[in-house]
Amino acid sequence: MSERRPLGVHAILAVSSLLMVAPFVWQIITSLKTLSSTTAVPPTFLPEGRWDNYAKVFDLLPFGEQFLNTVIMAAGRVTGQVLFCSMAAYAFARLRFPGRNLLFGVFLSVLMVPPQLFVIPQYQIMSSLGWLNSLQAIIVPGLFSAFGVFLLRQFFLALPREIEEAARLDGAGPVRIYWSVMLPLARPGLIALGILTLLWAWNDLFWPLVVNTDPEKMTLSAGLAALQGQYQTDYPVLMAGSLIASLPVIAVFVFLQRQFIQGVAHTGSKG
Amino acid sequence: MTTTAGTRPPRSSAGAAHAAKRRGPRTEALWGYAFIAPTGLGLAVFYLWPVLQTAYFSFTEWGAFGGHTWVGLENYTRLIADPEVGRAMLNTLMYTALGLIGIPVAIVFAALMNRQGLRGVSVYRTAFFLPVVTMPVAVAMLWRWLYNGDYGLVNQVLSIAGIDGPNWIADPATAMYALVVVGIWSSVGYNLIIFLAGMQGIPKELYEAASMDGAGRVRQFFRITLPMLSPTAFFISIVSVIGSLQLFDLVFVMTGSGQSARANPAYSRLQTVVQLFYERAFVTNDRGYAAAIVIALLVLIAALTVAQFRLQRKWVHYV
Amino acid sequence: MWKSARSGAALLCAALLASACGGGEQAGGTDAQPGEKVTLSYGVWDATQQAVMQELAAEFTKTHPDVTVNVQLTPWADYWTKMKAAVTGGAAPDVFWMNGPNFQLYASNGVIKPIEEQVDTSVYPKALVDLYTYEGKLYGLPKDMDTVGVWYNKTLFDQAKVKYPADDWTWADFKESAAKLTDPDKGVYAVGAELTSFQEYQYNTIYQAGGHVISPDGKKSGYDDPKTIQGLKFWTDLIAAKQSPDLKTMTDTAPLQLFEAGKLAMYWGGSWNVAEFGKNDYTKDKVDVAPLPKGEKQATIIHGVANVVSAKTEHPAEALELVKFLGSKPAADILGKKGPIPAYNGTQNDWVAAHPEWKLQTFLDSVAYAVPYPVSKNTAAWQEAELTHLTKAWTGEVPVEKAAADLAAGMNDLLAKE
Repeated sequence: MSERRPLGVHAILAVSSLLMVAPFVWQIITSLKTLSSTTAVPPTFLPEGRWDNYAKVFDLLPFGEQFLNTVIMAAGRVTGQVLFCSMAAYAFARLRFPGRNLLFGVFLSVLMVPPQLFVIPQYQIMSSLGWLNSLQAIIVPGLFSAFGVFLLRQFFLALPREIEEAARLDGAGPVRIYWSVMLPLARPGLIALGILTLLWAWNDLFWPLVVNTDPEKMTLSAGLAALQGQYQTDYPVLMAGSLIASLPVIAVFVFLQRQFIQGVAHTGSKG
Repeated sequence: MTTTAGTRPPRSSAGAAHAAKRRGPRTEALWGYAFIAPTGLGLAVFYLWPVLQTAYFSFTEWGAFGGHTWVGLENYTRLIADPEVGRAMLNTLMYTALGLIGIPVAIVFAALMNRQGLRGVSVYRTAFFLPVVTMPVAVAMLWRWLYNGDYGLVNQVLSIAGIDGPNWIADPATAMYALVVVGIWSSVGYNLIIFLAGMQGIPKELYEAASMDGAGRVRQFFRITLPMLSPTAFFISIVSVIGSLQLFDLVFVMTGSGQSARANPAYSRLQTVVQLFYERAFVTNDRGYAAAIVIALLVLIAALTVAQFRLQRKWVHYV
Repeated sequence: MWKSARSGAALLCAALLASACGGGEQAGGTDAQPGEKVTLSYGVWDATQQAVMQELAAEFTKTHPDVTVNVQLTPWADYWTKMKAAVTGGAAPDVFWMNGPNFQLYASNGVIKPIEEQVDTSVYPKALVDLYTYEGKLYGLPKDMDTVGVWYNKTLFDQAKVKYPADDWTWADFKESAAKLTDPDKGVYAVGAELTSFQEYQYNTIYQAGGHVISPDGKKSGYDDPKTIQGLKFWTDLIAAKQSPDLKTMTDTAPLQLFEAGKLAMYWGGSWNVAEFGKNDYTKDKVDVAPLPKGEKQATIIHGVANVVSAKTEHPAEALELVKFLGSKPAADILGKKGPIPAYNGTQNDWVAAHPEWKLQTFLDSVAYAVPYPVSKNTAAWQEAELTHLTKAWTGEVPVEKAAADLAAGMNDLLAKE
């Protein structure tokens, strides 16, 4: 394939990338400012090298524990969702059973509910299970996702049926087809769901804060909220804190996007 | 990059139906239920049950700390007469309609980035993903500054052209559009990775064949990429519409924090249904009414989703 | 019906957990304490006070060796939502912070316990004791207090050659200064007529004008009182005269930011602003504080946080002991060194001494004529109405009289429903 006009493409992508990176750069600039220059009117755009803002973050947050909690929670939710959602999605996309469309509609209806509705009822469920202030309280409700089922179902629907049929002729049952044929084929979709679930778990602030009370049972985002309580309008410290907190997700994204781009190129040979 | 054509198992098209039959529909159905069971149970307990509860409470006067008395349809009759509900519905629908522009934007960028051998693509992809990762406070702060009527960059640029720009998010005439721009901007990266994943699933042979037939990039995009991507686009459109109809956080952080959002002169053009629900449920302790509002919203979302599923036959291509 | 269904859900959950997580780990056991060891949870929202609260908790354990106090911080933004979930789910902290607007809601729903024992309340400002009394019963002991004053930028006063506010200045003096301080060429306004913070702005001028926000029995709105309307006009006149930025401008850039950028000569703010202005490099050595100007009468809004006991606590006796300790003089002495103004009379000197460069005594002196923060059973409902209706007066879309009349009608409807 010939690469025509790559310069034009680069120009478009570079300019729009700059626009996209802007808040991030703003975050970095702000994190290095003094407090009074953040409220300067009009704003200044030069960073000032105030690294002590970062020191304040590490002073305040029990980083180690909260980081670990966040990793456990995120890992739990990602594993759970990728597994459970892909199972359900495969069934909805390829298996025939009575009530399939109805059940899928019911699943979808969960997606339609604004999340603010769940706060109090889920708290009551956790309370009656005796799960308040525990790790499972922040993991378990996040294992199930209507979004994930729907996303992966669309992926499975878009996959060619031939490979699957060949496997079926070889006598493979639904479990084997799902596990050794469909999952590898859907790898880009699984990774996309994984990235998004990771991101949501990582940034999930409200639920951990509501359901857990001990700082050592909290996640990084809840720790950040505490930071926000302490430094209210001290945006430099807040920005420093949030930068530190979001670096791991960015790193995972950079790493995974390679995997995910190789996606299907691999799967043909595996199937 | 190797192509997949050579390593594929032989194609069979007629065998499929027989194969399925051989297993028997009963076994297949049982497996179907087994596969959906974990997610199904989890959703039922943690998500559907609260919705049913809320639906019940929408017919009650629901105390701030529990306890309720049955009031029949009172909340719903009040809802129909409440001008704030109508306005919030209208704002929400308008935001949803405008927000759909984000889908073609994401497809175009995904297609640009999906070129084989384009250098620096991973840098661009990361850049587009950053707004999705960035702390909402940072996003809100930046955009509030950009939109600031007196000192914001947007108006500074406009003033070069001799235009005196408005207070973008405080002016009823512009606030909604200003918000839509931020909404699209912050969701493009997210839609982009789903579209990229979808593009990865398109067999390379299709492009090779088209290329041999002399189809250019633009032609390939319209003849292969778009149709093959339609299931993904359908997904994104369903999810975006639902997401827009549930709009809350963005308005909440952009217009001022919490109740003070009501002091924004443009509030009546910005208030969304979920925001109204939030205010009634968590601020003014009118929870039965809040339940009715959210159930009404659910009905609206369900109607729009069903309509989209009906329409999908017209444009979505499944293999 | 819904109780049994809930336990059904719980069963389902348990089954689900067993299958999905292979049993998972057991839930952290609730403290069914053998012996007399008791742990009390104490809910607070201010992270800057977390350390002091932990110090106070440790101090309490010294005199009550069997009781440990676990301070639970929930940031302000989520505090009340979480409290609502916790109370509904039967898991509220044993003792927690309460504020004026929320107090009657909690008291009238019976989710906090009245203090049945005789307590000497003469040691607190009367306005605060009244604030936490519902139907003749006291529910909480005040821990801190705050009043409102006029913070002013000395540099801008000097540049405009305006005398600093005197302790006995009046509305007329304020208006005269405001006119002189406004300098459109430099983008400097006299003051920001903020709409969002009634505690620092409208409520003060309403009471100074001789009006009222709500009738003493909490049943009728005061917004149809012509004097109340005078108190509102105080602000809208400033906007009309362009001595305050308009509402759109203040929505984009909050008055606090404008004041800290030297664009406002005066800022009506609370005693809690001390921390903010002390940290800010610009305001640190340019500002000072004066009492609010006198209208028909002198008035400032007083508010303070109280400690209350959850009605569902398993240890009511210990919880009450803790509340009494937190409201005592020793506790106030500790608080005054590091936190806000303690509510206990006569313990506030340390707080004033922390910033000798400012006339912080102003905030204490104004307690003499302070008016309690106006509240009712469901304060939040009519506070929302205040914003909804007055926004139209602030933009000039509707005359103040009309907006106030609409507000009074709406507020009366809401009060009737309480």
